[in-house]
Amino acid sequence: MAFIKKQAQPSTEQTQSTPETRDCQSLLKQLSSSDSTERRWAARDLVECPECANALMQRLKIETENSVREVILTTLTRMGDPVAIAGMVDCLRSEDAALRNEVVEAMKQLPLEVAPMMLGLLADPDPDVRIFAVNVLESLCHPEVESWLISVITDDAHVNVCATAVDLLGEVGSSNAIQTLEQLKARFSEEPYIQFAADLALRRINEN
Amino acid sequence: MKTDMSKIIISEEDFLKFREYFYRKTGINFETTKRYFVDKRLIERIEATDSGDFRSYFIMMRFQASGAELQLLTNLMTVNETYFLREDYQFDCLVNSILPELVKRKTDNRPIRIWCIPSSSGEEPYTIAMYLMERWSGIHQWDVEILSSDIDTGILNKARIGRYSARSVMHVPAPWLVKYFTRVGDEYQICQDLREAVEFTRVNLAEPTDTRGYRNFDIIFCRNLLIYFDDLSRKTAAEVFFDALIPGGFVCLGHAESMSRISSLYKVRKFPQAIVYQKSLESR
Repeated sequence: MAFIKKQAQPSTEQTQSTPETRDCQSLLKQLSSSDSTERRWAARDLVECPECANALMQRLKIETENSVREVILTTLTRMGDPVAIAGMVDCLRSEDAALRNEVVEAMKQLPLEVAPMMLGLLADPDPDVRIFAVNVLESLCHPEVESWLISVITDDAHVNVCATAVDLLGEVGSSNAIQTLEQLKARFSEEPYIQFAADLALRRINEN
Repeated sequence: MKTDMSKIIISEEDFLKFREYFYRKTGINFETTKRYFVDKRLIERIEATDSGDFRSYFIMMRFQASGAELQLLTNLMTVNETYFLREDYQFDCLVNSILPELVKRKTDNRPIRIWCIPSSSGEEPYTIAMYLMERWSGIHQWDVEILSSDIDTGILNKARIGRYSARSVMHVPAPWLVKYFTRVGDEYQICQDLREAVEFTRVNLAEPTDTRGYRNFDIIFCRNLLIYFDDLSRKTAAEVFFDALIPGGFVCLGHAESMSRISSLYKVRKFPQAIVYQKSLESR
């Protein structure tokens, strides 16, 4: 037989993880290493160092290696503290589309932590940020999702923000949204997409 | 003195408190629909430890220095039902597609390392060993290490012993049954050679210190485990596997699981027998 058992154990080599090099300060240093594997391991182990959330956030903004970015976001999501959330919100303004999408996905995992910031995000002066906030609502398991969406289609002046919200209302809306959807159609009577999307949402709500 | 089980009540608040704690410690998340399953096992342990009620039991378990009670409860809460040659199209893929590709690009004599997680009672790693012996000619040229891990220490002991029911071996081809098993009463004992071919270890995927040493694997089988995890724990597991694999290494998931919905770290590989996930050759 060519099976080997003796060596079939967790590898002890190159884990760069002796306890003395895994303290928060050392991990922070490793987060800036030129070796992406070292940065990825540092990002993972920093989950034990909540005071380093801001450093992770800063690294995320300049990190080019996809696997390191993904681990940083997982660590920040596991931390889920106000610094991590504020950093994620900040990334919604980034010019980097991939980073914005990654952050939207991460925020969906944190309904209770993101909820207190949602009203502020939905009132942001930048319509793109408002659209991303609606994107976060898409999978946010929170009881206020429908009422937030209703307030968006009631108040938001930007057609694209309303279009994104109305699409989602078609999935999660109840009879509470019917009146507002009718008002939205009247408010954007010249916008064919809003007419189409609102009619679709109304049909789905009425079917349920 | 034994506690009267009929008087032990797990309230909604107790359940939520336990669920949150257990999730943090293991990554396993119980939906409300699993309430009966969880309550039954909690009551069983409250009774066995004479804790009297949930609160006393929870405090004892949470602050016990050895962690023995949490381990025991984890063993009870994990589902371990499997059988030999389950979803065998993936083993066909292993011997007909994955291994030939791996050995073709191998430039060293390092053994091929395979990690099975969860191990459960050993059916999967032993199936892999049998498949390699019976259906992969490369076994005569290459050394192979099979490591099999689980969070449940009780089931690992069962795996090491290697004694199985008739139901467990029902899909094993008759010649293999004769070659690799000995009938013992109503049960089947796996042979010593295969027992020696697999190393069993205890691992909690949600615990970074547990997984840090798991490196340089060519192939990981992680089937029907991630379905018990929530999104964040699935993502964490995917990242653990990424670091555990060599560049170009493969992950095989269960038929109802898709890495594409969990992480963007892997490439999808469509082989004739199965879809598996690969860490790119350029990755580090």
